[in-house]
Amino acid sequence: MITIATALSSESALPADNLERVNPATTQAALGRFLETVERRALRMAELATASRDEALDLVQDAMFGFVRHYADKPASEWTPLFYRVLDNRLNDWHRRRQVRSRWIWTASPSRDADDDADPGTQVADPADPGPLLRLAGTQAAAALDTALGNLPSRQRQAFLLRVWEGFDVATTAATMRCSEGSVKTHLSRALAALRRALEPHQ
Amino acid sequence: MNEFDDKPWLADAKALLDESASALDAPTLSRLNRARHAALAQRGPRWLGIGWLPATAVAGTCALLLGVAVWTTQRAPTRGAPVAASAAPAAAAAALGDDDSLEFYQDLEFYAWLDAEQDGDGDG
Repeated sequence: MITIATALSSESALPADNLERVNPATTQAALGRFLETVERRALRMAELATASRDEALDLVQDAMFGFVRHYADKPASEWTPLFYRVLDNRLNDWHRRRQVRSRWIWTASPSRDADDDADPGTQVADPADPGPLLRLAGTQAAAALDTALGNLPSRQRQAFLLRVWEGFDVATTAATMRCSEGSVKTHLSRALAALRRALEPHQ
Repeated sequence: MNEFDDKPWLADAKALLDESASALDAPTLSRLNRARHAALAQRGPRWLGIGWLPATAVAGTCALLLGVAVWTTQRAPTRGAPVAASAAPAAAAAALGDDDSLEFYQDLEFYAWLDAEQDGDGDG
């Protein structure tokens, strides 16, 4: 994973010694299989971020194009974090565009991205607590989780999804999100605390 | 299995997310499929551009050099000839276009006979 994080840290560089010299048709097929394995999760991530399936599909398609254009020649072992890095960039761009638009439209609701204001000490979860989703069943739990994730600030949500769902380590998540490892830990800690708080009423 | 799987509610959250990803409807899966193929399709022309560009450039340069060489060698030794070659048909066309000349050629046998007669008179 350190290797992957290192590769991610030099995004634009495509060192020749790092390229796979394989049959292009083989690479094409492997790329297709890879995209097939990540596209559903990517769509769900984008959908949680945008609350719109159409927007999410557009963002995932854009991420696929960007990934194939820039990273298809990278070793296949690096594809997953690289793809999520591209997707993360697209999601950040989407949020920036949305913020620019929202400057012209007054809204009384607080910004979802103001995630650094709260006191982290009040958000630390109790590890002994079994958790809020245990007694929720089926669609109710899924809907509650969707809502809670959708209400998280974008960086917290991405940290949660990449660390918990994708299983990335801290270094890879930091490289994917282009932030420090400390920031990843902070985002994740706050995400976990916020999710627990949001899901408690459903118990 | 990752480090969060020992926390039950996080394992549940993962399971719910997995389930939501695998339960996408058919139209959404179709759009994802099209998006994937479109993304992969852009790679074909890129291979062509990178893989064939040097060969195409070399072949184009060779063809250009060959063309210049052939044109130069054909043109150099016959530099004056095209003028003469092109002048002959022009003169013929001009001659044919001239009514007097045409009559001359039609009476050519008469002039030949007259010439022979005059030569004979001179001899005699």
